Amino acid sequence: MTISHGLKRVIGLLSIVGVALLFAGCSKSAATKTTHITYWHVNAETQGGASVNKLVKEFNKTHKHIKVTAKYNPNMYQGLMQNLQSAQASGKVPDIVQVGWAFTNYFSDNFKYMTPTDAAQKFDKSKSAITNNFSTQSLSFAKNAKGKLVGLPYSLSTPILFTNDSMLAKYGIKKSSLSTWEGVQAAAKTIKQKSGNYGVYIQEPADTWAQQAMMLSNGAQIKNSAGKAAFASAQGVKAYQLYQDMVLKDKTAIHTPWAQGMDDFTNGKVAMAFTTVAQASHIKQSVSFKASSQIAPTFKGNKLTVPVGGSMLALTSQDSAKQKAAWTFEKWLYKNDSLLTWDKGTGYLPPTKTALDSAQFKKYLAANPMIKPATQELTNAVPWTSFPKNGLDAEQDMIDARDKILTGSNVAQTLKAAQEKINAQQ
Amino acid sequence: MLNNNSQIEKAVNSRSGPRVSRKPRGRLLPFLYLLPSALLLLVFMIVPIGYTFYLSFFNWNLIAPTKQFVGLANYVNVFTDPTNQKVILNTLVYIVLLVILNFIIPYFISLIVNFFIGKMKGPYKILFFIPSLFSLVVGAMLFSWILNPVSGPLALFLRDFGMKVPQWTNSGAMAIVVICLITNWKVFGYNFILLLTGLGAVPRNILDAATLDGIPKWRVIWNIVLPLNKGVAIYVFILTIVQGLQYVFTPINVITQGGPYYGSSNLLYHTYLNAFVLYKTGNASALATVTFVIFLILLFIEIKFVEGRKQDAD
Repeated sequence: MTISHGLKRVIGLLSIVGVALLFAGCSKSAATKTTHITYWHVNAETQGGASVNKLVKEFNKTHKHIKVTAKYNPNMYQGLMQNLQSAQASGKVPDIVQVGWAFTNYFSDNFKYMTPTDAAQKFDKSKSAITNNFSTQSLSFAKNAKGKLVGLPYSLSTPILFTNDSMLAKYGIKKSSLSTWEGVQAAAKTIKQKSGNYGVYIQEPADTWAQQAMMLSNGAQIKNSAGKAAFASAQGVKAYQLYQDMVLKDKTAIHTPWAQGMDDFTNGKVAMAFTTVAQASHIKQSVSFKASSQIAPTFKGNKLTVPVGGSMLALTSQDSAKQKAAWTFEKWLYKNDSLLTWDKGTGYLPPTKTALDSAQFKKYLAANPMIKPATQELTNAVPWTSFPKNGLDAEQDMIDARDKILTGSNVAQTLKAAQEKINAQQ
Repeated sequence: MLNNNSQIEKAVNSRSGPRVSRKPRGRLLPFLYLLPSALLLLVFMIVPIGYTFYLSFFNWNLIAPTKQFVGLANYVNVFTDPTNQKVILNTLVYIVLLVILNFIIPYFISLIVNFFIGKMKGPYKILFFIPSLFSLVVGAMLFSWILNPVSGPLALFLRDFGMKVPQWTNSGAMAIVVICLITNWKVFGYNFILLLTGLGAVPRNILDAATLDGIPKWRVIWNIVLPLNKGVAIYVFILTIVQGLQYVFTPINVITQGGPYYGSSNLLYHTYLNAFVLYKTGNASALATVTFVIFLILLFIEIKFVEGRKQDAD
């Protein structure tokens, strides 16, 4: 009979699944001695993924009772956040994750995590053993709107000005004149007039980090002490006005997506690129001219202030044994040797005082001079603005304002409208 | 010898295999066979669609424990918010361009290849089909590099003739055209082969008869071939719109992220932006529901005009 035949097949299949489940159960019970933890990162093979794997392999070799599995999350910190949401919904969360600065408040408002202070208290019986190694300033990067430390700073980056020295020399531009945005504007004009090439590209990814650096270095605030948006001030408007003028009036700055803009710089069609230090190794490998970098420009008479980029490490384990293992792994990642492997692989700057001052890092800087200005900027770095409420909306509003301004909208009105829209949601 | 009708019926039935439909247990069997696909459909299609519809009445960020009920506010927002209006308009522009690039042009070329070119049909098929094998991410990156207005190969080539590539990423309209061209690169070959196969199925004897009667080729195509190939054509037409709007997502995401100022965004990308970048699940669900209704209308048109007529003809 057909049915009995079908039933037999179904029963057969069920028994195979049953046996498989049984074995899966066995393997779990046999492995209780070793704690398995997962580490979620955003580093593709070309963006330091190799050093993540190297570090994890080394850790697993030296720690018999902990096994770390690294999982790459595509689409940077945003992609990781998306995956973390699904993980939380399914109840199977990773144990340690990288959180981008722009997501600090969103992460701390919506996910369960263990603060580094609690972890140190619980597992090391000391509140400050690990935090002592960080400067107060770098710890401030990882605090949420309520002033609570969410994770530990892991990757730091700052924006710097990369220059095509061959082109600058050809058209008689002194690099010292590029320490102010007014100087950059004048140099860009000269380049355009003499060669027809563009003078500068300011990075335009799906965030306004570089534009915030410009406003901050004109004495503007992005967010005031009350947590409200405050960038539509006279200083903020002036900074954006210079940017708009370079793009639309002088036609000396290119307004184009990030990948294209960087291609234009490395192909020798733009004299300067204002972008993250993390681009240093890409630039070093791709250019056929003499390239160098210098500290981010400021507006005349103003102090340098740059928002910090990168990420922190946060503990998302919910199980005490796993939390302990993840904390052990995290502390190991902050050892000088591990940090240097990480920074060499990614181009980020070390977050701890001891690693920054280590002889190894100094040797690395000597071999990679393009990174040096970024480390000098660290003392002038401030946390990347993360609005307490609807922070992701706020970032999108600032991107929208940039798009509008660079296509010709009135700077003051556009910034004011964006500021009001953000503040209405706070 | 078979003496009467009942005997004949018996004999026929005994030869035509087990009579599953007559026994109550046998009636379950077709449902059992359908169960796996029905389950998949339920879990991956019907439940998510229902849940999306449910979520469209709430404000929620995907993980907060509470959802705030807002009634129809999200739907009102879809049609009144200027950004959403812009995105809906862009979607229409995308549809028009996609139909021209991915339906009308491949149809035209498949007609030429089928009726006016005697040789090389095979190589044409292969050549047009090759890009369909590549991922759209690769296509998007490739086009972004080739069409880079400042340092791309096309810009360098045109510079020798005193011409420039416009800054297409700064203009919504131009960005839409380029994004459609990228999907065209990917989809063209597939649509071309579908349409060509349809044309190949037009009965040879009708065409031969028309040739014998001395009817000009364009009349044969217009009055005989196109009406006979209507089923395939409308299928490709609907596919062009529904699949095309999903295909443009990748180049938008890779190159423009919907910019400049939502100029190159469409309903699908905007839904993604709301859902997974801004975590405004309610807005995203309302947008998704509106898109779903639009697609449903298209499907209705397809069923009414294509499959309905077929049944009438039968």
